[in-house]
Amino acid sequence: MSILYDEGQQAIATESRRVLDARASKDRLLKLLEQVGEHDAAFWDTAVEQGWTALAVPEEHGGLGLGLVELGLVAQASGAATAGAPFLTPGYGVTHALVASGKADLAAKYLPQIAAGAVRGAVAFAEGTDVLPAAPATKFADGKLTGTKPAVPGAIKAELALVWASGANGPVLALAELAGAERKPVSSFDNSRLYADLTFAGTPAEVLAEGPAALTLAREVLARMAVVTAHEQVGGAEALLHIARDYAVTRKAFGQLIGAFQSVKHRIAEMYGLVEIARANCIHAAASAGTDAFLVAAADARLTATEAYDTCARDCVQIHGGIGVTWEQGLHLHMRRARSLAIEQGNLLFWEDLLVETLTGEAA
Amino acid sequence: MSEIETYRAQARAWLASMAPKYARAARSKLNLSVEEDLALGRQYMAEKYDAGYAGINWKTEIGGQGLSNMHKIAFDAEEMQFGMPNVYFGISLGMPIPILIQYGQDRAWVKERVIKALRGEEIWCQLFSEPSGGSDLAALRTKAEPDGNGWRMTGQKVWTSWAQYCDYGVIVVRTDPTVEKHKGLTYFWVDMKAEGVEVRPIKLAGGDSHVNEVFFDAVRLEDSQRMGEVGGGFGVALHTLMIERYIATDSAGFGPHLDLFVDTAKDLTINGKPAIKDGRIRSAIARNHAMRAGLDSITKRAFAMMQAGMQPGPEGSLQKLVAVRSRQKLSEMALDLQGNQAFDFDPHAYVKEDWGTSWLNAPTGRIAGGSDEVLLNTIAEKVLGLPQDHRPDKGVPFNAIPA
Repeated sequence: MSILYDEGQQAIATESRRVLDARASKDRLLKLLEQVGEHDAAFWDTAVEQGWTALAVPEEHGGLGLGLVELGLVAQASGAATAGAPFLTPGYGVTHALVASGKADLAAKYLPQIAAGAVRGAVAFAEGTDVLPAAPATKFADGKLTGTKPAVPGAIKAELALVWASGANGPVLALAELAGAERKPVSSFDNSRLYADLTFAGTPAEVLAEGPAALTLAREVLARMAVVTAHEQVGGAEALLHIARDYAVTRKAFGQLIGAFQSVKHRIAEMYGLVEIARANCIHAAASAGTDAFLVAAADARLTATEAYDTCARDCVQIHGGIGVTWEQGLHLHMRRARSLAIEQGNLLFWEDLLVETLTGEAA
Repeated sequence: MSEIETYRAQARAWLASMAPKYARAARSKLNLSVEEDLALGRQYMAEKYDAGYAGINWKTEIGGQGLSNMHKIAFDAEEMQFGMPNVYFGISLGMPIPILIQYGQDRAWVKERVIKALRGEEIWCQLFSEPSGGSDLAALRTKAEPDGNGWRMTGQKVWTSWAQYCDYGVIVVRTDPTVEKHKGLTYFWVDMKAEGVEVRPIKLAGGDSHVNEVFFDAVRLEDSQRMGEVGGGFGVALHTLMIERYIATDSAGFGPHLDLFVDTAKDLTINGKPAIKDGRIRSAIARNHAMRAGLDSITKRAFAMMQAGMQPGPEGSLQKLVAVRSRQKLSEMALDLQGNQAFDFDPHAYVKEDWGTSWLNAPTGRIAGGSDEVLLNTIAEKVLGLPQDHRPDKGVPFNAIPA
């Protein structure tokens, strides 16, 4: 388990940041906030062109055969730019489920298309306020799904969904093409995430796992996605730390730079602490994938990354004063993204509970 | 197994062989006084020296083992788990002795001191803080004036750890009050048994008295006791504070392990309901686990970077700041959780195993060795490039600073 990035990984980090910096457009992102049903297409085109969609797909299926560490670095860069289409993380979730389930025919059918960006994945686990409900209302029977999954990220445009459902013998992890499902777009505070209610009415689906194995795999998929998202959160939080610092060394009040006031400089130093703790947890979690320590490491990363991004969003706006709450200045892009990412892949409350369950050895 | 891992395993085996006589578990049954514990500590240090685990990362010509910083950290991390009676020697070997090695003028005398300090036969203290300046070290007022071919020193130091047991100390004093405060300081070593030195222990809030006030009444210093240039004392003092960057850290903030909190919560109830099922308790456990895991990962990464010949990042400076204040809050919560049972308090309980003493002694940890506020300033200024605070004393001769 390596916790230092090697040369290839460092190159991925540098290159993804460079490409996204060159193509970032605040105006484009601001426009997306007021449109339901549109994502950051320029980002997605970049992701496909740069091979990010293929990163974690095995080589035998047209991918690059890399893993969570590399994808995390791309996610960190996209988080810093508040770029990102809501397919990269769930696409990875679908990919991992296909590989881990051992369904070779399904893997051969979908993975090359996922790698090429031709098929975009969504992950539909949550129902009501439950992130991974013990008895999902969505049913699976006779090869068909029935029921509704509320506000699934990416669902307005995704072609394929990994669905958590109830079957005849306990839970089922099923894969469904979304051509046969109804999508009802949800108007949101972060519209480019493409949230839609997905309704299945006898939609054909394939089983990837059943019973206790389905729960184990669903948790593993969720934890892996949570680690990707945690990297994205760290990227966003770190960007806000730098924005806050840069503002504090240029803006003056009461005859001096505001960064000379301890109330401001300590706030920024605290942001630094949260970012570095979350980054350390992310590196550890990504490197722990596939080990027994992974679920706990993922929870640690998720908890600290959510705290870091939320706090940095809150405090960076505060340090900017009035200008920080204007539409044009755009800090609200981070504020909104901090919230949407805090909820996708399970909120803090879910992860706190799951972590303690694991630490205390309580029954799942 | 890497060379470091092999070394670590050997160290652990040696420590285990010492444990029946010296480890905390063995000593706690004996109800030793501080003096008796110190005497045992001196024996332990001598055994450690003879076994080749003293001065691990110091040069062999000065009495060390000539190994790397990683060897030292590996040993320290193992040693910490046994609770050996080494607390009395931590500062002595951590700061004054390395500075003496670097600046001491009479090399034969220096080597003799180093070996005696490593063996626990002599202890050195660090005389920096004063009533008028702790975090603001350069505000110190103890003065040394020329006296023939040497100096005569008068003033007072405070918070000096273990001074009552010390043979020597390193000290920063003002030798020129007519220049800016940082520029008029000079660094010396001092014989703590010299005429005119008086040590008075200070009893701390937690009940122990390991820190002292130290008074100097016209104490004679030879010029050969000077370390560094006249007027260069602040630089040497900063060097002292920087020297021990490769120290073992503790994400528990030198308080109890999180497992103890989980066990505490498992045994107790809130309004008749299991405390471990309470969302507030679960949240505290989860958040503390995540924070501590982050600090541990920072430590592991720093270690890996050193092994790869790289310089660890500045995020290591977060350890004490984040860990100790979290320990303070968690200790408060653990006491609350225990309800009236928490009133049953033993002031001598080990801070890593008891919520009461952990709570009562936590403020010391947030102040000593750089207060939270100073650490935040350091991160803001040195890591993030934010401006210094408003400083009315800047550019002003010391004796003209407004009171």
